Amino acid sequence: MIKARGKIGFYLLLKKRLWVIFVFGILLFGVRWTKGAGYLDIYSILINPILPGSAQKEWIKEGENIERNIRLKLLEDDNNRLRKALSLKEFNSDNRISAAVISRSSRNWWQQLEINKGAKDGVLKGQAVIGPGGLIGLVDSTTPLTARVRLLTDPGHQVGAWIDRTKRHGILTGMGTNRPKLIFLNKNSLAKIGDAVTTSPASTLLPPNLTIGIVQFVNEKALPSPFAIVQLTASPEAIDWVQILKDNG
Amino acid sequence: MVKKNKKLLIFFTIIFLPAFIVTSPDWLKINGITPCWPVILLLPFSLHNSPWKAGIASILLGIFIDSFTISNVSYIPSLFVLSLIWSQYGLHNKKIELFLNIGLMAILGTAFIALSIWLQKIILYSVLRDNWFHSWSLYVLISEVIITGLVAPFFSSWLLLTYKKN
Repeated sequence: MIKARGKIGFYLLLKKRLWVIFVFGILLFGVRWTKGAGYLDIYSILINPILPGSAQKEWIKEGENIERNIRLKLLEDDNNRLRKALSLKEFNSDNRISAAVISRSSRNWWQQLEINKGAKDGVLKGQAVIGPGGLIGLVDSTTPLTARVRLLTDPGHQVGAWIDRTKRHGILTGMGTNRPKLIFLNKNSLAKIGDAVTTSPASTLLPPNLTIGIVQFVNEKALPSPFAIVQLTASPEAIDWVQILKDNG
Repeated sequence: MVKKNKKLLIFFTIIFLPAFIVTSPDWLKINGITPCWPVILLLPFSLHNSPWKAGIASILLGIFIDSFTISNVSYIPSLFVLSLIWSQYGLHNKKIELFLNIGLMAILGTAFIALSIWLQKIILYSVLRDNWFHSWSLYVLISEVIITGLVAPFFSSWLLLTYKKN
């Protein structure tokens, strides 16, 4: 009797093609669980021979120049501060992983990049990702061969930042456009158009003094706190190569 | 011939959908915004099948698409509603394969999905209740509707015809 039941069950599974649904269900669950890791890894392998070259357009170079100038000034300031107090951590430029952008969604409802380095290369969730011009986002998830980067412009994405000149901290919030909103924590921001916005040296999540952008608009009277609109110096839409900072401290 | 059509259909659905979502090719973008692929695939399937089948397909498709996004906002609620509406429409209308008819349905569907995502983002992130975000959302909605309206008549009507031949 038990044998017969077993036979009927097996017969139904084969005859009614339930096994197709079963296998499909497992596959779908796998895709959801791994966040599309299989597809991304296969795509990464396929795209490898035709990765974009390192040549960048003029406006990226311009962004790089702005970044260099801002960083030069910041490094000078840092140097002075270190001489006085030795309170800042050392920024190690060798501790980076270079990766190519293999997929880009920088203007859609979700603003993200897929890069061709993953957990296998030491990329971890939460690491900072920089491009020519400065910080562009943070690693959101990884697969063995790829990583997904959530851009600073993604709606709702928040990171800590400050204006070096005024030493005022704020939360940089993505609004979808290339101009995120810096919501200040102080009632009086003292910010001016043209001020450089960088990551805060007080932050434990991001490396200090990474260039983010330049203040384009300030609203001191806004409630509950003043805010500034920041033009990013790095352009995710045109960047082909990025660098992941291994050590966020 | 039927077998060939079926194979083509399976190939298109299984290979091209993930490929387009993952690669997001630049030549299929308008203002940097890609077509709403779930609409393009779900529309012909829903028009040709019963509501419960369309509903299940929408949930599975939603789960799949959500795998490739980064926040808690989901496609599933809007896709489920659309699949039921399209399925009901498909059961009562015979001339649905008309080129412009498909395009119009894709446009309305895309607008509905975009509004759903917009609403979910506002609910989830209170900081986005802001004019800057709303103006950008409107821009994305319009661009997505236009590009989906342009692409859907080709892909969706072809898929619908292939479904009917099977």
